[in-house]
Amino acid sequence: MDPYPSSSALIAQKTWELENNVITVDTPPTSTNSTADASSDAIFYYDETAQAKFQQDRPWVNDPHYFRRVKISALALLKMVVHARSGGTIEVMGLMQGKTDGDAIIVMDAFALPVEGTETRVNAQADAYEYMVDYSQTNKQAGRLENVVGWYHSHPGYGCWLSGIDVSTQMLNQQFQEPFLAVVIDPTRTVSAGKVEIGAFRTYPEGYKPPDETVSEYQTIPLNKIEDFGVHCKQYYALDITYFKSSLDCHLLGLLWNKYWVNTLSSSPLLGNGDYVAGQISDLADKLEQAENQLAHSRFGLLIAPPQRKKEEESQLAKITRDSAKITVEQVHGLMSQVIKDILFNSIRRSSRLCTESSGPEPMVES
Amino acid sequence: MSSSSSSGLTFKLHPLVIVNISDHYTRVKSQMNPPVTSTATTSSSSTTTNNSNGSGDGGVTAVSAAAPPPRVYGCVIGVQRGRIVEIFNSFELLYDPVTHSLDRAFLEKKQELYKKVFPHFYILGWYSTGSDAEEFDMHIHKALMDINESPVYVLLNPLINPAQKDLPVTIYESELHVIDGIPQLIFVRSSYTIETVEAERISVDHVAHLKPSDGGSAATQLAAHLTSIHSAIKMLNSRIRVLHHYLVAMQKGEIPCENSLLRQVSSLLRRLPAIESEKFQDDFLMEYNDTLLITYLAMFTNCSSTMNELVDKFNTAYDRHSRRGGRTAFI
Repeated sequence: MDPYPSSSALIAQKTWELENNVITVDTPPTSTNSTADASSDAIFYYDETAQAKFQQDRPWVNDPHYFRRVKISALALLKMVVHARSGGTIEVMGLMQGKTDGDAIIVMDAFALPVEGTETRVNAQADAYEYMVDYSQTNKQAGRLENVVGWYHSHPGYGCWLSGIDVSTQMLNQQFQEPFLAVVIDPTRTVSAGKVEIGAFRTYPEGYKPPDETVSEYQTIPLNKIEDFGVHCKQYYALDITYFKSSLDCHLLGLLWNKYWVNTLSSSPLLGNGDYVAGQISDLADKLEQAENQLAHSRFGLLIAPPQRKKEEESQLAKITRDSAKITVEQVHGLMSQVIKDILFNSIRRSSRLCTESSGPEPMVES
Repeated sequence: MSSSSSSGLTFKLHPLVIVNISDHYTRVKSQMNPPVTSTATTSSSSTTTNNSNGSGDGGVTAVSAAAPPPRVYGCVIGVQRGRIVEIFNSFELLYDPVTHSLDRAFLEKKQELYKKVFPHFYILGWYSTGSDAEEFDMHIHKALMDINESPVYVLLNPLINPAQKDLPVTIYESELHVIDGIPQLIFVRSSYTIETVEAERISVDHVAHLKPSDGGSAATQLAAHLTSIHSAIKMLNSRIRVLHHYLVAMQKGEIPCENSLLRQVSSLLRRLPAIESEKFQDDFLMEYNDTLLITYLAMFTNCSSTMNELVDKFNTAYDRHSRRGGRTAFI
């Protein structure tokens, strides 16, 4: 075994980058060269005249579906996730700075706003106007020239979508502050699932009917929020998110791995997210009860029940099954980490039984 | 100028700070050297304020770095609890290279803004880019000493050296040493560890490494999860091998015996098994069984859902034959 696993990690990284459209900036997607040269950092350059021209042209006025993609920088993502997580179970919000590029909105940086509980009122941003102005001014002085290009907020534990209040806020923003983007992050699900839960949205203007049925990825919504989700889910559309980083970022992040592989090994999601999982399971139980009631009703109405009714129940039960599968998968992943750590660090005295125990999920009982 | 620090403070650095500094540097550098595709009318010198020579010529291609890489300056903030200094975040500062002075008003303004959002963080020191600590850095260091009596200096080397295996970030502290009879402040190096919260780790992993961007199937999620653990274990293995080689060489006599290192290795080995108590076994098994229970329940739900579908399909298929009577529902 080679002492430095760089070659296989590099291959794996390239495969992943190819699959997930992580382009080291401005190079065509086919060349996933992680050690990019200086020209690929071109995205960091802020071209004031081009931006001003774009603002004047305003091509989004005629096409509500104009912006289709979002490119988020590594720094912005890190800042947003850390801020969202630091809020715990309280919703927090902040603003994103960046620029536009054709049909893509580029987010270069993000900063937090001292506002909390953003799901209770439209335009919670009003509280923080002074902060926003001050911050933007100091930023311009320090050399960050981009303008505010969107806002982000967190939905701790209940998924990435826009609530009714969010939709009203965003519609207001899109009337007066174009181009503007709404990003939602779920820090609890991020930690629980081990991958970043993030969504970028833009609303349609009032009364606009989207031309095709946008098929969005299914996500579990807790029972108390599902109405809010359903009522408004047609009023906005999701944009594709890709990430980018500079060549220096690449280099540093690669080296960072040398130091924090320890944290990867030592993370224990099972312990960290216990109450979230419990909440999910109780929510699932409520949904099951609801589904059961619906089923009971339809039994008597079987003869006159239109086929749609049956389809709905089926898909409800199927949804519940999918939710339960998701919870289970996350739990099993967490348990796998725990078991691996146990084998690695605890089984010194049980070395004779190592070979039999590392297979199948039998409970490890000391006889 | 740099020897080991003796202050006894442990430093913990968050990856966010590193990405922040790198982003600041990249921004300033790219504003200075506009990419070839842009028109030559933009003058970058009017916008940037903290690089030593503003090259306003738009004809500079990005590849030929006409100007030497700029130095950027900023402040690091975080928390200090007893002997542990944890650096969480950072922001930019304005520095005038001509007069070698910091813009105090700016610093205070920024500090106020950051206090509102992160009320627990204090200014712990400052950062800069470059390959080594320089003479003038001490001026900035001293200027910051009235905010924090012993600030830290984080230095990032932005030159990309592919042969490098270690993070090009060094943390310096200042110590009073007597040199030539004059007590002087000099920079001494300190060691640090990288500390992250779970969310930070996942997003750094996401941007840097091997995680799929969206749900994917359960198989890809499993693969991603196991791959990351696998890489971590590989690192662990390689490190242990290095130690092993070293010890073997020491045994053969190729390398002189170093007792302190041997002591450390011995104490490390003695820490295995990590936990071994009755209570741990019980809790571990309970957790294990809980997860198995959840899997069992999920299976049940899946089965009942499939059953339900089957029953409904059956009903639909055979509905014609049995009209309004005698139809007992399957329970």
